[in-house]
Amino acid sequence: MIESIPLSYYLLLSATLFTIGAAGVLIRRNTIIILMCVEMMMNAVNLTFIAFSRFLDSATGQVFVFMIMAVAAVEVAIGLALLVELNRHKDAVDINQFNSLKG
Amino acid sequence: MPFEIPFVQIVWWAMTACAIGGAIGVVSSNNLFHSALFLVLSLFGVAGYYVLLSAGFLAVVQLMVYIGAIVILVLFAIMFSRRMMKPTEDEMNRQWLVSVIVAAALFSWLIVVVNSVSWPVTSAAPTADTVLQLGLAFLGSYLIPFLVVGVLLSAALIGAIFLAREKVEAEEI
Amino acid sequence: MDALRLLTPEITITIFAFAIISLDIAWNDENKSRRILPWLAFAGGLATLLMIFYIWPHVDQYNYTAATDAGREVPMLAVDRMSLFFKMIAVLTVILVGLSAGEYVEKHTPFRGEFYGLMLLAGLSIMLLVSSTNLIMIYLALEFLSITSYILTGFLRRDARSIEAALKYFLYGALASGVMLYGFSLLYGATGSVDLATIAGSLETTQAGLVVAAVILMLAGFGFKIALVPFHQWSPDAYEGAPTPITAFLSVGPKAAGLAVLIRVMVVALPAFDVNWTPILSLVAIFTMSVGNLVALWQTNMKRMLAYSSIAQAGYMLVGLAAWSAAPPSAVAYLGGVDAIMLFLLAYMFTNLGVFAIAIILENQMGTSEIADYAGLIRRSPYLSVALLIFFLSLVGIPPTSGFIGKLFVFGAAVNQGLYVLALFGVFNSVISVAYYFGVLRNVFFEKGSDESPIRVGVAMNTVVTITVVMTLLIALYGQPFIQLAADSAQILAANF
Repeated sequence: MIESIPLSYYLLLSATLFTIGAAGVLIRRNTIIILMCVEMMMNAVNLTFIAFSRFLDSATGQVFVFMIMAVAAVEVAIGLALLVELNRHKDAVDINQFNSLKG
Repeated sequence: MPFEIPFVQIVWWAMTACAIGGAIGVVSSNNLFHSALFLVLSLFGVAGYYVLLSAGFLAVVQLMVYIGAIVILVLFAIMFSRRMMKPTEDEMNRQWLVSVIVAAALFSWLIVVVNSVSWPVTSAAPTADTVLQLGLAFLGSYLIPFLVVGVLLSAALIGAIFLAREKVEAEEI
Repeated sequence: MDALRLLTPEITITIFAFAIISLDIAWNDENKSRRILPWLAFAGGLATLLMIFYIWPHVDQYNYTAATDAGREVPMLAVDRMSLFFKMIAVLTVILVGLSAGEYVEKHTPFRGEFYGLMLLAGLSIMLLVSSTNLIMIYLALEFLSITSYILTGFLRRDARSIEAALKYFLYGALASGVMLYGFSLLYGATGSVDLATIAGSLETTQAGLVVAAVILMLAGFGFKIALVPFHQWSPDAYEGAPTPITAFLSVGPKAAGLAVLIRVMVVALPAFDVNWTPILSLVAIFTMSVGNLVALWQTNMKRMLAYSSIAQAGYMLVGLAAWSAAPPSAVAYLGGVDAIMLFLLAYMFTNLGVFAIAIILENQMGTSEIADYAGLIRRSPYLSVALLIFFLSLVGIPPTSGFIGKLFVFGAAVNQGLYVLALFGVFNSVISVAYYFGVLRNVFFEKGSDESPIRVGVAMNTVVTITVVMTLLIALYGQPFIQLAADSAQILAANF
């Protein structure tokens, strides 16, 4: 049943998701949106891993994805903690307004 | 069998619509709150693929960790500071054209790379009990990474609590 | 040796880290015992260092790299001399930074336990990263290092600049690790394995395009840690905003870790692979050296200048790797480029931590790190001024300092492989760097400062400056043991061919 969708479809799909995420990182200025776009890129990677894991019939890809998910969760927690903390100092989420350091 | 509906195909394309539509929504929406909801849609679509790829356990983890935890965290952060929610006039970077060109170049490069190789695909039927396999892997050959993740999570939690907690008296030296 | 004993350094540092954090919670703010926390961290560092020395003679320098996971005592972690060498660098960095952080931390934040605990954990993550032989371990250790670095960079929560620096570091870091993971997934798809040695065994020559793509994607992740151009944008901001001791840590620890993992991936996973890496590596090295040095010329802030200077230094180290990639397989053991990187890194660690120790002392005293405020330092503290002179001579690469030996080996390896242009760029860049280092020294020795009060230097600080000065000179004047150490540690490379 699953064989009806070939591997290349999944790879194409994940490349698309990855690129949309990358484009979002480049285009958008809002820090939270950038963070969400990075999460989408991670998701594209996870999809690649799981597709390979299925089509190579190896559990390693799933183990890797599990680790990525665990780490991504804490990474977001740290990022948002920093963002909220910065928000106490400043009224901005626009990345171009973070300019107390000369970028 | 002319009337058999290719069920998997339909589901697959529905998932694709969710995943890619959601992703485009995140990037293009001007409202932060809507972006977060689009992210849920996209993550949900990807979780669907996991089920099709016989990774049901990870599909559930995806729902719990990404949608249940990460997006909720994002929504909290958005609501925590209300002013973030106001849609602003100029949400795009000034060099958006350059960014789009870069992204298009990246896309074509990835497509060429991915299609240039004949991937070593097996035709074996999917392993039945992936949860069992995962459990054995975590406590067997992947024990050390599993332990390291434990230490990593505790370190990160300490750090996140440290960063996000309210000011304490002693800090105003 | 059994697995548990081979992991004693990691176990020791973990125990000390969590002990410090727990004790910090157990003792409330008024408790005088909290004063021992920094010393506990120091003791933890020393204990870990002792464990490394204890393991060193028992480790077979050849046995590990070629073996896949199945044949290794510790799965996914190679305890070979190369990893032990880098672990030593990591622990020494933690010790020296910990010693020089004391007064700064006391002055700026009440959270001492978290600071030292997280710093030991950052040390742990480097130790894991440098011995990883598996993409999963590499990813986890790299993220571990990143996450602890983000927290430490944003440690001065009262200071918006510190939080902002951490946020920038975080955004670039998350992006870089996403890109790197894409590279990992391609390698996994092509080989069905995440073990470096197995990957090496199953790559086919038809997959050249894929491997090049995967390496470029992975280079984003490793290059981000090393701050190679063009993945360096985060570093000046992070360096300027971070607490100065953490800046010192960032300028050595993650760079060493990133280099180690880059070396291991190149050497173990892609050794005999039919792609010539020299052009890519040389190009990145040239850009990294040149951008670092040219931008450093315009800096007025010491921490920012040192950020660009350390970008340039990473470029010199990459010259060594480019030389290795050009070498015929049989020539890797001695003067093959990798031993040069290690020697350079050893010299760079002592020198750079010494410079930062002086920067921390002056910042404690004056509250700023502007280069203009270094004026007239010679009248305020002749000792520190002379030490700074020695460190800067070493960073430029002028004898008799360790930086000279490091550069001699790195550029020598490049010349050995006929990479004359690359070596020439290196030498030319060193000449440029004279301008900004000596700009600071001119301030120190010949300008008249507004403040003439003598600089007070604490015992810990004095120790750090003395150790780093002595080592900076010793590696140059009595270099044979250190050269031998680096060559020994690089030996694993020879085992692959």
